[in-house]
Amino acid sequence: MRVTDTYKFGSWLLVLFTLTAPWVLPLLVDSFWVDIYSEILIWSLLAASVNLLLGYVGLLSFGQALFFGFGMYGVAIGVVKFDLGFWSAFIFGISLATGMAAIAGSLAVRLTWHYFAIITVVFSLIFYFTALSWKPITGGDDGLPFTIPPIISFGDYKLTMTNANFQYFFIVTIVGACYWLMYRVINSPLGRAFVTVRENDARAALIGLNVYLIRLTAFIFAGFIAGVAGALFALFGRYASASYMFYHVSGEAVVWAIIGGVGTLFGPIVGTGLMIVLREELSSVWDHYLLLVGVAVILTVIFAPRGIGGAFKALAEKIARQQFSRKESGP
Amino acid sequence: MSNVPLLEVTNVNKRFGGLKALQDVNLSLETGKLHAIIGPNGAGKTTLFNVVTGTIPVTSGRIKFLGTDMTNDKIHRISRRGLARTLQIKSVFANMTVRENLWIAAQSHHGVFSPFKSWKKCVRSVEMADIICEQIGLTSLADQTASNLSHGDIALLEMGLALATEPKLLLLDEPICGMGPAETEQTVIKIQEISKSTAIIIIEHDIEVVFKIADEITVMANGTVLAKGTPESIAANSDVRNAYLGDDDDD
Repeated sequence: MRVTDTYKFGSWLLVLFTLTAPWVLPLLVDSFWVDIYSEILIWSLLAASVNLLLGYVGLLSFGQALFFGFGMYGVAIGVVKFDLGFWSAFIFGISLATGMAAIAGSLAVRLTWHYFAIITVVFSLIFYFTALSWKPITGGDDGLPFTIPPIISFGDYKLTMTNANFQYFFIVTIVGACYWLMYRVINSPLGRAFVTVRENDARAALIGLNVYLIRLTAFIFAGFIAGVAGALFALFGRYASASYMFYHVSGEAVVWAIIGGVGTLFGPIVGTGLMIVLREELSSVWDHYLLLVGVAVILTVIFAPRGIGGAFKALAEKIARQQFSRKESGP
Repeated sequence: MSNVPLLEVTNVNKRFGGLKALQDVNLSLETGKLHAIIGPNGAGKTTLFNVVTGTIPVTSGRIKFLGTDMTNDKIHRISRRGLARTLQIKSVFANMTVRENLWIAAQSHHGVFSPFKSWKKCVRSVEMADIICEQIGLTSLADQTASNLSHGDIALLEMGLALATEPKLLLLDEPICGMGPAETEQTVIKIQEISKSTAIIIIEHDIEVVFKIADEITVMANGTVLAKGTPESIAANSDVRNAYLGDDDDD
């Protein structure tokens, strides 16, 4: 099996599982796991947004929850205050997040490393406290619940997300589209420029790359992805809350991305899935399960710096090399 | 034909706090020559490269490239105008293959970054990367990750990165530093080949090499230009001898 075949096998397995989950999961475990898997898919986009920055342009953001929160509030405020329909609220949320990313990014990407990390935390804290105290608009502590508008309505016929299977596949479609988009961008000239800046920003400028603009583009794109995640989560949970904008949420996304593997496309899904399942299973029986998460992160950073995705890649390459050398030495 | 100098440095000063790294440096370089800058450590050679390529701003003075003022312009803009350089401390994109390294350099020169096209389909840059690979003699290593290359090959790749941007002027900062005798010889031949089509300014400590390949030599010491001329006139210059023997090193 060639290296690319192993990747393809892994990716197809993931796709197959995702497409059959509503029927397979209830057979294996309780049916509420379908909802948990939906949640994993949505949250994986937030981890993917961290991964875009950390894994592809080399910027560690601890503030991606800010854009998640903007996507979320965009949908909720759109429905409750402006009486928007399903799609317009969805697009409104994503645009709000992307716009915020453009504003925050134009200031933040002038800095790198810990300075960048700190400014992203500061941005998300400012808006967290704003959302918490601006009760008439955001609902403050209580959050902002809403009734979900129908996706399509022909006269009496209405298609809404209250249909569980429909909701699941709506989420799968949107999340899938986001991963496809990331795949295209990563393999485009722009994606190559991202990696070049990550590798050596000083040299990148010397060969004619506008490092600031490339970082800003990546930041806005990452903000867009986090915004989609937030908007989806608002539709999934039928409410928005300031607590999702707290930097603790951003930190969790960083952990998921690191464990799943920064710089790999599907790493964030694996990392998010693993950590959320761990949380669901362990948090009820052991209060201090976060200790285990901490240990897992430390072990990953030391022994598998590119996470599960990177380890999988290394394993695939090793298998391919062994088979290659056996073929060489064979008759 | 108007004779616009390729690079014109006028009264350039650069101070780092109290240290005068460059003092009233004047240089005018014509097209089509291999120009060398020599001088003892701390003479300001690399600082001169840094201000010319926009890496650090000048304190005062003007720098013109092909008649256009580009003093304190952005690094990437200067590069796109056709001024490329290599670094003394070799620096390439370590986790990318040789081909990818050259590809991005070729692509960034044109500055078009489509977000949806596959990068492998940008034919012009793919071809350019292959041509440069051939030119610097790294074709057999094209799919190797840059971090696996030997020191000498990294120095060649570093030069390839600069060449892939199709420069009009190439600044080489100690290109053969740390190379063995055989590698040095090969690299020198390559530099001479390149100089047929591209103007070059080279900083080099190996005096033997400099006198062999340079058409024109500028000697710097203590941040000033001490002498400029043909290799023969420089060899006969007594100021230059003093600078190298170091009898008035302190300001």
